[in-house]
Parts: sequence; C-alpha cells; structure tokens
Amino acid sequence: MDFDSPEEKEFPGLYASEAIDSKSKKSKEESDFSEGDHDKHSKKDLLIGRRKDKKDKGKDRGYAALEGESSPEEELDTKSPSKSKKSKTFKFTSSKSKEKREKSRDKEKEPKTLDEEPPQKAKEKEREKEKDRHNDEKDHKKKDKERKEKDKKDKFEKKDKKDKKSKQLQQEDGSEVEEVLALGYPIFGVSISLATERSRCHDGIDLPLVVRDCIDFLQQEQSLKCDHIYKVEPIKTRLLHYKRLYNNRDNDASVDDIPTACSLLKLFLRELPEPVLTTDLVARFEEVASHPKVTDQQTELEQLLEQLPKCNRTLLSWILLHFDAVIQQERYNKLNAQSLAMLLSPTLQMSHRLMVVLLCHCTNLFPDVKLIKYVPPLTSSSPGLPDNPEDIKTELRKQDSLLTQIHSEMNAGFITKKREEQLWEVQRIITQLKRKLRSCEKKQEKSIDELEHATSAPPAPAPAPQSAVQPAEQKPPTTNQSTVSAAIVSEDTIDSKSVPTHTVTSLQQHDETNITTSPPPIEYTVDKQTGYLLLSKSNPQRDDLLRLQIEYDELMNWQNELKTRILAERNEIFRIKQLYEQELLKAQPVPTISQEQLPAEGDYERIIEHYTRENSLLEHKKQMLGMEIKEERRACIALQVELRMQEF
Amino acid sequence: MSKKPTAGPALHKVIMVGSGGVGKSALTLQFMYDEFVEDYEPTKADSYRKKVVLDGEEVQIDILDTAGQEDYAAIRDNYFRSGEGFLCVFSITDDESFQATQEFREQILRVKNDESIPFLLVGNKCDLNDKRKVPLNECQVRAQQWSVPYVETSAKTRENVDKVFFDLMREIRSRKTEDSKATSGRAKDRCKKRRLKCTLL
Repeated sequence: MDFDSPEEKEFPGLYASEAIDSKSKKSKEESDFSEGDHDKHSKKDLLIGRRKDKKDKGKDRGYAALEGESSPEEELDTKSPSKSKKSKTFKFTSSKSKEKREKSRDKEKEPKTLDEEPPQKAKEKEREKEKDRHNDEKDHKKKDKERKEKDKKDKFEKKDKKDKKSKQLQQEDGSEVEEVLALGYPIFGVSISLATERSRCHDGIDLPLVVRDCIDFLQQEQSLKCDHIYKVEPIKTRLLHYKRLYNNRDNDASVDDIPTACSLLKLFLRELPEPVLTTDLVARFEEVASHPKVTDQQTELEQLLEQLPKCNRTLLSWILLHFDAVIQQERYNKLNAQSLAMLLSPTLQMSHRLMVVLLCHCTNLFPDVKLIKYVPPLTSSSPGLPDNPEDIKTELRKQDSLLTQIHSEMNAGFITKKREEQLWEVQRIITQLKRKLRSCEKKQEKSIDELEHATSAPPAPAPAPQSAVQPAEQKPPTTNQSTVSAAIVSEDTIDSKSVPTHTVTSLQQHDETNITTSPPPIEYTVDKQTGYLLLSKSNPQRDDLLRLQIEYDELMNWQNELKTRILAERNEIFRIKQLYEQELLKAQPVPTISQEQLPAEGDYERIIEHYTRENSLLEHKKQMLGMEIKEERRACIALQVELRMQEF
Repeated sequence: MSKKPTAGPALHKVIMVGSGGVGKSALTLQFMYDEFVEDYEPTKADSYRKKVVLDGEEVQIDILDTAGQEDYAAIRDNYFRSGEGFLCVFSITDDESFQATQEFREQILRVKNDESIPFLLVGNKCDLNDKRKVPLNECQVRAQQWSVPYVETSAKTRENVDKVFFDLMREIRSRKTEDSKATSGRAKDRCKKRRLKCTLL
C-alpha cells in the first residue's frame, strides 16, 4: 500500500474501517472513529512526517512507527518548526551502531508496523482532543522539555526489543492527560535538590520519594536476604513504567519486586546530571580513598561530607547505609563490599576503591541517620485520622508539607484535574485534623478547669459528710504526677461532685471506703488547724492516712503552682501569636533589604544546620533538667511529709 | 467524553471569599456543623465536604473557606481556578468589607474568565442590624450591576445560611446541565444567554 496515494488523504475513514476489520478485538479503544476530522489531521501529519523523514534519513526516523507511545509526539514535532531540537536530543543515544541496526530493521519492519497504525491513530485522536481541551499557554512552554524527556525515554525503549505488550500498556497510560503535562517537571534526570523538591517525602527527610520507596522496599528483611538483590535485571517495561509513574507523581506508585526496585534506584542515580559526590568534590574523595592510613580517612571524609549540599549528603547517607545493610546479609545474598562496589560504583560515578572505603566507614560517618520507613500522608481513602494529639500533629506537618508542594507546583503551572482534586482533598484532611486537634485541646482544657473546680471546692473538708469523700479525693495524689495527664484520667472522679460519692469511690478505693464509711466503731477526730482526719492513736492505719493526707496537700500545692504557670505560659503564647500576626501584616516589603545582608548560600545552610543541632541539644538538656526538677520536687515533698508527720 | 460515567453523587465546589473577619468561616461552620464560633481565629484555608439533599437529589458539596487576608492571595488563585461557584461575603457592619467585594469579584472573573460564573453576594451579620453601615439598597444596586442575587445572612442566628449554599448549588447545577447540553463551539452563545437570563431575574 502506498502512502502517497491521494485516496487516503481524502478518505480518512479508510484506514479506520480497515482497522476495525482487522483488529476488532481492540474495538473498545477505537470507538469514536466516526469523527473523521481529527483522524484526517493526524494522519496527514504523520504521513508528511514520514515522508520528510525518509528524505532526510534522519537518525530517529522509524521509531515513531515502532513505538506506539511516541508517535503522537513525533507528530507534534513535525508540526512544530523547531525540528533541530529533536535531533539534538538524540545525541544522548548510546551507540550509533545500534541505531543503524535498528534503522535497517525498521525498513524491514515498516510494512508490518503500518498495519498497526490505525489503533494508534485512534489514540492520537483522543490525545489530541484532550490536548485541545487543556490547551493552556503554559503547555507550549513545556513542550520542549516534554519532548526532550520523551526522547530520552525513547532511547530506553529502543533497547527493548519485544515491545508489543509494553506498547499497549503505554498507550493506555498515554491517554492520561497528566502525563503530557507532568513531563515538563520530571524527577529523573534532574539535580538531587530539584528532584527532592519536586517529589518530597513529607516526614521531614529530604529524599526524593522514588529513592525512599526503593530503599524502603529493599530494606525489608526478605529483600535484603534475597540473592537477586542488585544482581538480576528487571523487566525493562516495568522499570520504565515505574519511572513514568514517579515522573508523573502518580500517588500510588510503589515498587513491588526486587529487581525493579534495585534498577529504579540505580536508574535514578545514573541519570543524575552530577555525581552524588558532586563534580567539585569527587576528586578529593578519591584522593582520600587512596590514603594509606585508614584511621585518617574517616576524619577527612567527614570534612568532605560537610561540604556536600545537604540533600546530597542525605541521599548519600541513605544509599550507603542501605548498601551496608545489604552486605550485612552476605550469608544470604552473597554480596560483600567488594562485589557490591563492583556492581554499583559505576552507577555512583566513583571508583571501586572509593566505594569500598565509603561502605567501610559509612556507619561511623552517619551515626545519626536511621533508615525509617516512610509513611506517606493520609488520603481520603485511608481508614481514619489519628486520635492522639501527638499523632495528629505529626500528620498535620506531613499534610502541610504536601499542601505546600501542591501549591508550589500549581504556581509553577503544573495544573491538572487530578492535582486540583488532590489540593481540595489535602485541604480537607488538614481542616479535619485541625478540628480534631482543637477538640482534643478543648477537652484537655476543660478537664483542667473542672479539676480546678473540683479541687478548689473542698479546701477544708467538713468532718462528718466528707468522711466518705476523703478517700476518693486521695486518689489524685497517688496518680497525679503531671497535672495535665492526670486531669484526663481523673475526669470521672471529678464527676463525683454531682454523682453520689460512693459509686465512684468504691471503684478504686474499695477497702478504704469500707473502713471509713461503714463502721461507726472507727473513731476519728479532725485536726482543728489543718482539717486533717485523725484516727485514734491505737489504729494501725493512723499514720498511713495522715501521711496520705499530708502528701495530698503538698501535691495539691504543687499542682496549683504548675497550673498558674501553665496559665501564664498560655497567655504568653497568645501574646506572642498576636505579635507575630501583627509583624506578619507589617513586614511584607522589608525582606529585599535584609536579603542583601545575608551570607552566602553555603554559609547560610551551614549556619542553619549548626543551629538546628544546637537547638536539639538544648531541647534534650531542657528535658533532662525538667526530669531532674521533677525528681527533686518529689523528694522535697517526701521530706516535707515526714517533717509534718512529726507535728502530730 | 464518555470514558467514565461519574459514579456517586454530583459534586459541587463552592468557594467562600471576602475580607477578613466578615464571617466566612462562621457561615461555613454553621452550615456544616450547626455551630457558631464566637472567638475569631483567622483562616488560612479550610475545606469541607458534606452530603446534602438538593431538591430531592443527593449531592455532595465541597466548601473551601479561604483567607480574607491579603497575605494568602498567592495561594488563592489555585483554589479559585477549581471553584464552580462563589459566595462573596461581606459584613453589613463594615463598609470596607463591602468595598472589597469589588476586588474579589474582579479577581474571580480574572481567574475564571467567565462573567456568568455562579456567584452570590452575601451580606453577613444581619442580626446586628442596629450597627448597619452598608445600606440595603447599596448592596442591591451592586448585586444588580453584577447580575447576581443578593442575600443577607446571619451566621449567629442561622438566618438564610442554608439558603445561600443551596441557592448557589442550584445555580451550579443548572450551569452544569447547560454546559453539557451546549456542546463545543457555542461558548459565546451560551454566555449571552446566561447574562440575559440573569438580568431577568
């Protein structure tokens, strides 16, 4: 069949109907052939494109015919005037001889591929429609980037020879609008910082999500022990499938087989525009690695690591610790430092020797790094929101980070239906979390208030009717270490004000109630000064009761003291918040001036790091001191109790 | 187009706009949870979803409560873009908030690029009629200028709270059915039609 015949141009439906005949199985995808308009258009373009290709004998010709997915893009290319760019990107291709081989193969294959054309066209038509729908101006800007990325992908696909299945798969995915848009902002093939920024882990660890997911998966014990790890090649199409999912920030992309996870991680590292150790520093690392004295190596390595950008450092620490975990399981996976370095040093763009050295020192170099499994932010399909205030706060931080990312992406023009939906959803979850947190706080406040009420009511217990209440009131002292937590626990005891006292008291202090309430034979007097209940001298429990009462008083004092402090702190918080808001409203135009005075970027980062470290240290110290104070205070109370016991 | 027939109830996306402190959150919370929050806490952005029965049909409403303060204007556009209907709220006790509605209207039209986007002008705090600063007829004039309905509400007493949300949802719904009827290529026509209809109202 000759493509140049005028017939087909004039009767666009021709191919379509043929397609239906020959490939009736796929009829679902081709359902809307009746609209010949688009078909004609794309077909024409394709034809023209092919003819041109034939004429220039361009290197890349024929791939369109081979690769179902790429054909629409090719078509795009032929439309746009900037053809030069396309050939430029093809400099990436690894071996020219391979291309030649492919070229000749293409010629043979051409008739065959032509038969396959119609279904693709149906897809193209669909895509074109979608494109029209989303024809933002931003789209155009992105196209160049997209094309580059596409071509790069094609490169990988080319290596793949039996592509038919994947083709279908890609076609299916290709129909998603998202892909077209997302490819302007890939994760693969960009700098570490950019990749991290574009696909964050929202729990505060600055790793690109793809790296985190792969490591998470591979850190599972059965993965580490599997002797396929880092040895077996994955199915190429799967690998590319996942690459695309991550590039598109598809939310539920998560690798589930070892070879793919390994290769995806390697692919990410290999495609980095700069080695993890940075072009500037890699030579110095190599120098250190050839240092004869092992003991000196570590300090020098530490110094060099300090100079790495933070996200490089994080990435390096994670992959090294992961590799270390792999070689720890040498017994099962037959990989030691030497052999693993053999496999992976080229990917990391470092020498075999350097990688072995790094592996040998990595646990000492990154003592504070722990490979924590990533728990992504909740989605609306998650079972439920956390209940514990601390968990809510953690989740809120994650969601906030996610929200910030969505906003920044949208501001950068990465706008799709899915994104917008996600934006609303995340916002909704945040609102729910905030409401929940607030209600938790309110509950706490309320219980503190109630406790205040409850405890301030009986300052000096009246003798007769209070005798029953007394033991109940003694419960708080035994549990009451921190007022706040106790407040929640004792909420039901507080109810004892309104509820008949016995029901509550009997729950916890059964024995004592029996002693104090039921039997008239027990004699007691009330101390005039303190209001304490005094049993007769002969009663063996006299001392216990007295001690408990005194202790109770002391603890109450402490509680009140703490409460006033909490109140003061709250007021302070409120005051600062207000101040902050005022400043926020004022301080808009100022930053331009202050920015000039800031130190250089690197210094700045180091300073931040320094202060974060210092702060966490201080925080720790503060906690220790707090504990000490608590202990001392408790000892004080014990002594005080003994002291006052002497008075009686 | 007919790739996936949307399962589940229809979803209408409503956005609350207006200056700070006019009661956007109060209206939203009253509608959502029947609660009135006395103390003022500025909103950054909050989003809610509720299932309601609209004229016998179960639908979902997504409400986005935005920040009144100018500080968050940068993220506002992202929300405006995906909104299907807008409640533009001001306080009848605060003339400045009324003046500000003009700006909000313009911003929405700029982002949505559609004169006939479902839109209600809402004068809140009508329980404080004795402190009224914005005369009723002034509000009505502005609503007429924009060809939008004007409703006075009170988040405190719940007066007209349901009404504004349901009215807006009806507008969104009729707009959607209209859109699906008038298929491609007749966008201009439709706009004219809409405007005519509105002025009649």
